[in-house]
Amino acid sequence: MWAVLGNGAKRIGALFLVSIMISGCASAPQDDPEALAEFKKLNDPAEPTNRAIFEFNRGADRYVIKPVTGAYRAVAPQEVRDGVHNFLQNLRAPIIFANDVMQGEPKRAGTTVARFLINTTLGIVGFGDPAASLGFESHDEDFGQTLAVWGVGEGPYVMLPIFGPSNPRDVTGKVVDFFLDPINWWASNTDNDWVPITRAVVTGVDARDQLWNVLNDLERTSVDFYAAIRSLYRQRRMDEIKNGGDADAPLPNLTGEFDDNPSPNVVAQSGK
Amino acid sequence: MIGASRICAAVTGALFLLVVNANPGWADESADSQQFVRTLADKAISQLTDATLSAGEREQRFRVLLGDHFDVLGMGRSALGRFWRIATPDEQKEYLVLFEDLIVATYANRFRDYGGENLDITNVVKNSGSEDVAILVQSQIVRNVAKPIRVDWRVARASGDHKIVDVVIEGVSMMQTQRSEFSSVITRGGGKVASLIDELRAKTKSLLSRSN
Repeated sequence: MWAVLGNGAKRIGALFLVSIMISGCASAPQDDPEALAEFKKLNDPAEPTNRAIFEFNRGADRYVIKPVTGAYRAVAPQEVRDGVHNFLQNLRAPIIFANDVMQGEPKRAGTTVARFLINTTLGIVGFGDPAASLGFESHDEDFGQTLAVWGVGEGPYVMLPIFGPSNPRDVTGKVVDFFLDPINWWASNTDNDWVPITRAVVTGVDARDQLWNVLNDLERTSVDFYAAIRSLYRQRRMDEIKNGGDADAPLPNLTGEFDDNPSPNVVAQSGK
Repeated sequence: MIGASRICAAVTGALFLLVVNANPGWADESADSQQFVRTLADKAISQLTDATLSAGEREQRFRVLLGDHFDVLGMGRSALGRFWRIATPDEQKEYLVLFEDLIVATYANRFRDYGGENLDITNVVKNSGSEDVAILVQSQIVRNVAKPIRVDWRVARASGDHKIVDVVIEGVSMMQTQRSEFSSVITRGGGKVASLIDELRAKTKSLLSRSN
């Protein structure tokens, strides 16, 4: 298994190096302080390279990923696809649990354990999600989020071939999660390399299926698809890191500028 | 024992009064904002989801709701960010028209595929950091399948009127995304607002239905 990861990583690394050599880096604007501040805030120093990889990904999506996912959507009705999604999500339980613990969230860790026990048994190896209706709502965690909770910065924006938008922190998270996963230990020890490979492919198709409408709409309506994805990725990750508790996000005032020191207080809670 | 519980009740009552009095008007404000979002959701469902509407009719109805409930002007200026100041008055004017067109083109026809989802308001949060009264109405779109979708409405009250200034879906701010896109188009177009206007013109022309 390590060999599989090693090869994949080497290949991605090589592709990455080549594309960096071809397209290089964006130069920071020198004359305009506002433009320079924005350039730093975007934190996408390899933008020309990233855009080149993004175009490659769009091609791969158009000719391979989207047709495959479309075929999957055509043969598998919503209920079946939901089942597959639940199954894949249930397999992630050990990773989610480990990251819940590392983030110091015992309650969420407990929820993860309860979900795994209920859904593996009553949910028939995870295809169903009876745990959610019993009050154990699903949540996701990964080591990239754990690093963020520990105070590690995201680093510059990176567009990975096939894997899509990321950053050094989330790439590290992905690698650590892979090595943390008991299923991967088992596959490695029993020479079942096909298991992580198959799982990665099915997870990819499931992810594209989950984002079907979102990505199709965004591609159709955005004036800069690359910039939209970059903004979306960062905002989603921020939201996931904060576990959806975004009440302290800055509210814009009427001039549209963002307040630097917002202090919202939760004042009214409707009975729900 | 009775005495103790009476004292307890009295103290609780006093504290309650204190809290309520310390923040006069907020309870009303909170209820008003909640009602404002509720009304908008009900109007949108009753006016936009009819499957027999033509695309043009749906766009027209959406445009009316948008103008009544959203601070389109403020949102447009905000989405242009620092480039608003370098835009000529003519560019500003045309940009604002195209900005509204883009919102209509992007969102109006999503209501066609409405599948009976409900909007539940879960919380109202006040932003005391801003000088203008800005309120966050948090809600969930509840679906039959899968998890509910979190939608936050940022409501400002400029001159007595409630107006929505941003919609945040699952942590993704519509305005922030729009602003970063626009800024990227202008930067790549050599810092010219005209480059964005060209893009918007082409985009809205391809998206809006002909009958408008």
